[in-house]
Amino acid sequence: MKIKFLIKNLNIILSVIMILLCLAFLFIIDANNGSNKYLITIIEKSLVYAVVALSMNLVIGFTGLFSLGQAGFMAIGAYITAIFTIPIKFRESIYYVEGINADLATMTLPIPIAIILGGLVAAIIAAIIGIPILTLKSDYLAIATLGLSEIIRAVIASPMMNTITNGSYGLKRIPSFSGVLECFIYCGICILLMALVINSSYGRDFKAIREDEVAARAVGIDIFKAKEISFVISSFFAGVAGGLLAMFMRSIESRTFSVNLTYEILLIVVLGGIGSITGSIIGSFVVNIGKEALRVFDKPFTIFGFMVDWPIFREGFRMVIFSILLMVVVLFFKKGIMGGKEFTFDNIIKFFKKKGEKHE
Amino acid sequence: MSEKILQLSSMGIKFGGIVAIDELNLEVNEKEIVAIIGPNGAGKTTAFNCITGIYTPTSGDIYYLGRSILNVKPERITALGIARTFQNIRLFKELTVFENVIIALHLRYKDNLFTSTFKLNFKKEEEKIKEAEKLLKSQNLYKYKDEISQSLSYGLQRRLEIARALATKPKLLLLDEPAAGMNPQETNELTEYIKRIRDEYDVSILLIEHHMDLVMDISDKIYVIDFGKLIAEGTSKEIQNNDKVIKAYLGEEENA
Ligand SMILES: Nc1ncnc2c1ncn2[C@@H]1O[C@H](COP(=O)(O)OP(=O)(O)OP(=O)(O)O)[C@@H](O)[C@H]1O
Ligand SMILES: [Mg+2]
Repeated sequence: MKIKFLIKNLNIILSVIMILLCLAFLFIIDANNGSNKYLITIIEKSLVYAVVALSMNLVIGFTGLFSLGQAGFMAIGAYITAIFTIPIKFRESIYYVEGINADLATMTLPIPIAIILGGLVAAIIAAIIGIPILTLKSDYLAIATLGLSEIIRAVIASPMMNTITNGSYGLKRIPSFSGVLECFIYCGICILLMALVINSSYGRDFKAIREDEVAARAVGIDIFKAKEISFVISSFFAGVAGGLLAMFMRSIESRTFSVNLTYEILLIVVLGGIGSITGSIIGSFVVNIGKEALRVFDKPFTIFGFMVDWPIFREGFRMVIFSILLMVVVLFFKKGIMGGKEFTFDNIIKFFKKKGEKHE
Repeated sequence: MSEKILQLSSMGIKFGGIVAIDELNLEVNEKEIVAIIGPNGAGKTTAFNCITGIYTPTSGDIYYLGRSILNVKPERITALGIARTFQNIRLFKELTVFENVIIALHLRYKDNLFTSTFKLNFKKEEEKIKEAEKLLKSQNLYKYKDEISQSLSYGLQRRLEIARALATKPKLLLLDEPAAGMNPQETNELTEYIKRIRDEYDVSILLIEHHMDLVMDISDKIYVIDFGKLIAEGTSKEIQNNDKVIKAYLGEEENA
């Protein structure tokens, strides 16, 4: 009886154990943060990118909407978080060009509230802009959302916004996470919420739309409403992730949120697996760790005692290698690492069971 | 007198200059099985697309239970009680058999985002799962529950598409060439199957089909269209002996 219960809930039990192990690991790292600075940076970055990647996967991979506006919504969240959380005493020196807007000068919000506010503003903008653009076919939708993202960035950087966003000079001294554990908790909550939406009846409707819009309507799904909901939720979490990114980077400028950022996230989504939650998380760690690991190729290096000093091994070469690796993945593993499936203990058990059956 | 479920009154549709359907009058009554037949390109599927709101007719009107549904959106028409299958099967391909059916149940088990996300609706969810399983069992699809729908055989995919349509609890079911792609045995079984669906689920059925044996066997009434025009209507007997119909079909064979 007891054993049966254990087996039935093995997936949940193992997942909980796994999360506890992660927490313990992060706790240890936090305790020795002096010696683990580099590791902490990579983990925090990967976590924040995992949140954005999943928010992008929600529209692209689960709803089939080819939307490329993520960087713009992140910019909104990042700037709102920064504006309301930079300590008042630093503000005058940061807004040295035209001074700070009088109403904002003394206004602060607790960090979580500022982050949520950033997400809400991004969501509201998405809701309004979604009405005309979500009826567009995929390539037009991609162009429209890219355009929107660039418009948001241009507005933030415009001199007219100097007293609010500090225009093109950027914002500094944004308070950061108290430790990697705090970052993990924020990101974990975001990922959990999105996973819950994806596994709800709404998530099923999203997938139906991705598979076949005509059939989805034929079973009574209001596809416009469902697309709008997906787009708004995705933008909310992109905004939240923008706030988290601002905390991670401690200083931001409008250039941070150029289209390049969207492409970087898209790469994680594709590499991890379109339509896979765990894929986006794994993809984020693979990409961020990979980029660091390839740093050796940015300068001459020694291998087996030989000094390799070809002129190609200079600053930026790792990105070339990285892009080649990416092309290989896209060519040979079209569906990414996870290929639309999820990394759960249930699936692992099933996988090994199947293998066992084949051998018999 | 039985209730009029569907009525097309001089319904027509043009694409650019081309008249795809011209002045079509058609009626489906309660619990009837009605067939539309006609050569390829006659406009049969187009008629279905008009009834389900995918196309808007350019003339005439469509009444469902006495109400015009001319400018109603497809998803609303499904909600009103008209469900359909497609000539070239439109399942949610990468989703499982079970998911295909449960998605069609969302319509009748409305849910808001909050309760659905935080699973506060587990009672409803349980009912939904039960109903989906019941439906799959009654269509002999239960053992394929967790298979990806596109991995099923053609015949099973057709059956799943019908199951999915039934999940919306329609009063009128439109079947576009249900026998296409089925093997002879499956086709033979289809006659009984369609009748069983009508009785078990209390639906009227309007179907498009090229298998004449099936059509003659099953239909209470048959409409024949050719080049978008209604050329005959009546019972199996009347249609079999109609000169125009014979000509339309023989003509087609000569061309072929
Ligand atoms: N969206 C459209 N635009 C232009 N022409 C169309 C459109 N839809 C259908 N047609 C035309 O309408 C005519 C009828 O097509 P339809 O698909 O209804 O034929 P059908 O009777 O279902 O034939 P089949 O037995 O081959 O399925 C065809 O000539 C087709 O080209
Ligand atoms: Mg057709």
